[in-house]
Amino acid sequence: MAAVATCGSGAGTTGSAVATASKSNVTSFQRRGPRASGTNDSGPRLVSIAGTRPSVRNGQLLVSTGLPALDQLLGGGLAIGTVLLIEEDKYNIYSPLLFKCFLAEGIVNGHTLLVASAKEDPANILQELPAPLLDDNSKKEFDEDVYNHKTPESNIKMKIAWRYQLLPKMEIGPVSSRFGHYYDASKRIPQELIEASNWHGFFLPEKISSTLKVEPCSLTPGYIKLLQFIQNIIYEERFDGSNPQKKQRNVLRIGIQNLGSPLWGDDICCAENGSNSHSLTKFLYVLRGLLRTSLSACIITMPTHLIQNKAIIARITNLSDTVIGLESFIGSERETNPLYKDYHGLIHIRQIPRLNNLICDESDVKDLAFKLKRKLFTIEVDFIS
Amino acid sequence: VTLSEGARAGIGRELGMLDSLLSFGGLVLLRDSVEWEGRSLLKALVKKSALCGEQVHILGCEVSEEEFREGFDSDINNRLVYHDFFRDPLNWSKTEEALPGGPLGALRAICKRTDPGPITIALDSLSWLLLHLPCTTLCQALHAVSHQDSCPGDSFPVGKVSVLGLLHEELHGPGPVGALSSLAQTEVTLGGTKGQASAHILCRRPRQRPTDQTQWFSIFPDFSLDLQEGPSVESQPYSDPHIPPVDPTTHLTFNLHLSKKEREAKDSLILPFQFSSEKQQALLRPRPGQATSHIFYEPDAYDDLDQEDPDDDLDI
Repeated sequence: MAAVATCGSGAGTTGSAVATASKSNVTSFQRRGPRASGTNDSGPRLVSIAGTRPSVRNGQLLVSTGLPALDQLLGGGLAIGTVLLIEEDKYNIYSPLLFKCFLAEGIVNGHTLLVASAKEDPANILQELPAPLLDDNSKKEFDEDVYNHKTPESNIKMKIAWRYQLLPKMEIGPVSSRFGHYYDASKRIPQELIEASNWHGFFLPEKISSTLKVEPCSLTPGYIKLLQFIQNIIYEERFDGSNPQKKQRNVLRIGIQNLGSPLWGDDICCAENGSNSHSLTKFLYVLRGLLRTSLSACIITMPTHLIQNKAIIARITNLSDTVIGLESFIGSERETNPLYKDYHGLIHIRQIPRLNNLICDESDVKDLAFKLKRKLFTIEVDFIS
Repeated sequence: VTLSEGARAGIGRELGMLDSLLSFGGLVLLRDSVEWEGRSLLKALVKKSALCGEQVHILGCEVSEEEFREGFDSDINNRLVYHDFFRDPLNWSKTEEALPGGPLGALRAICKRTDPGPITIALDSLSWLLLHLPCTTLCQALHAVSHQDSCPGDSFPVGKVSVLGLLHEELHGPGPVGALSSLAQTEVTLGGTKGQASAHILCRRPRQRPTDQTQWFSIFPDFSLDLQEGPSVESQPYSDPHIPPVDPTTHLTFNLHLSKKEREAKDSLILPFQFSSEKQQALLRPRPGQATSHIFYEPDAYDDLDQEDPDDDLDI
C-alpha cells in the first residue's frame, strides 16, 4: 500500500524537488535517500513500524496474523489495508482462536486494537487472549511438538524415496522476535500487557438502545454505528496519515466478531431474501474504503454456514481480500475416519488478494488441515487426500 | 437384553443430562414436530424447576392459560408467574394489566428484577414469537436475556437465567432454526420410535467441544419425567455371509509373498544411492593397481600434429 508514502510526505517530495532543481540547474530528477535536501521530512523513507515488514514479493507492508503457519500460507503476512475474512466452523470453536491470536499479536507488538462484537463484551474477549510464548522457550517447545508428532510416521522408513522423509511437514519461515509469535492456547495473556496496550471496544448492545423500531435505510443501524466508530478512531488517532509531523506511526488492528449473525441486526442468516440483504455487502465495501486509506488491518469472523442465500456468500468473498474457511470435523463423519484422526479440521484458503500484482501469491499446497494440540494451533499439509 | 456394567454406568451418566438441562443456564431450545410434541416436556421441565424453588415465568402465547395450567397441582400453579398473550395478543382491550411492549417488553421487565435468584423463563412458544416478530429482534432479545448474568451493568449479582423455548421445527425454514440453534446453549430435539419418545440433547459449552446424547423418556400424567433406557435394539442383519471374501493372490503364476529369510535379505540390502560408511571408505581409499590414468589416441589422416601454438600468429 502506497498509503504510507503518499499521505504524509507527498507534499514534501514535490517541494524538495522544485527547490533543488532551481538550485542545481542540471536535472530535476531527485535521488531518493535520507540526504538533507532542505525540508523536514526528506523524501519518502522506509517506514519502520513495530511488528510490520515489507513483503519480499511485492513490497506491501505486512503484519503478522498471529499464526506463523498462516502467515506463510498468505505469502508472508496480512497486508496493511486489507481484510481477512474467516468463515467460521459450525460450532464456533476454532475461529475464535484465530481471532484472538490476531489481537494478541497486536498487543505484543504494541499496535492499537479495535474490538467489535455483538455477542461478548470486548473487555472479556481481551481477558481471554492467549499468552505469547517467549523467544527462548518457543523454539524449543515448537521443536519438541514437531518431533513428537513425527515419531509415529517415522516408523515407516522409506527406503527408495528416502529424500521425501527429510521434507518438513510444513514450511515455517524463520520467526524473529519482531514479526510473528507463537501463542499458548492454554494460558491467558498477562494482565499487564493488556493494561499497557491501547484498545477500543465496540459492544453493540451498549451502543444501540433496545428499540423495536428500525428505520428503513440501506445499512442496518448496527453497521452504521460500527462504521462511524471505526472512522472516528482512525481520524482521532491519526491512522490515516492526516498529521504528517507525528514521528511514530502505529498500526490499527480491527477485529469484528460474528459479523452477519442476527445479533448484529442483520437477517441474512434468517431469511433468503430479507429486506436488508445488501446491508452486509455495503458494509464490507465501506469498510474496505476506510482500511485502504489508513494504516490498519482487519480480521472478520463470519458464520457463513448460516447464510441462506449462496449468492451473498459469493459477493462477500469478492468484497473481502483474503478469505479462509475453517471446517471442523466435529459432528461429521470425518471425525471417525481413521485417515483424519490426527487432525481437528480442514483449512480452505478461498481467496488471496492480488495487490498491485497480476497474479496472487498462492501456495502450492491446497490440502491443508489444522489441529489444536494442547498448546499450539498448527496447520499442516494433509498428505492423505 | 441384559446390559453390561459399563453400559449401565454410561446410562447412569446420561440420565443425569436431561435432569441437569436447566442447571447450565442460557437458552434451551426444544425442537418438536407433529409426531413428537414438546409441550409436555416443557411442562415437565417447568414443574421440575418450580419444585427446585426457582422463580418461573411463563410467556403463554400459543395456548390458553387454563390449558397450560392443566395437570399441575395447586402449589406449582401458585408458583408460576403467567404472562398471558394468548387471549389478547394485540392488546385491543387496553386494560391496565396488559404489559407494555408485548412479549419482548415482558421479557425485559422480567430481567430488570432485583432479587438475585435463579430464574427460569418458559417461552410457549418461540414459533409464535418468530411469526410475529422479526427474527433478528428476537435473537437479540434472547441473547440479552440469557446472558444477563455475565453482563456487568448491574451493581448486584444476578442469578442465572434459563430460557426454555419451544420451537416447532416444521413451521420454519432452515434460516431461523439455524440462527436460533447457533444462539442456544442446549438444543433438545424430540424424536422417537415405536411409541417411545427420545430426546437428542446437544450441549454447546463456550470454547469446548459440543457433547450430544440421546435420552429415552416418558412423561407421567402429572408431568414428572421418567427416564428410560430405550427400546431393545434388534441387531441389523448383516450382508449375507455365505460368499467368503476372495483372495486375489491365490491363483497367480508368480509369487507375491516373501518368506522370512527373503524379507531379511531384502531389508539388509544396501541400495546403490545410499551412502554408508563402507562406501565412503571405498571411495576414499586409493585403488591398488592404477596409479594414474592414460589416454590412448590414434591420430587420423586429417589431424594436424603441429606442436606450435596457433595463437602466436595473432597480432594484438
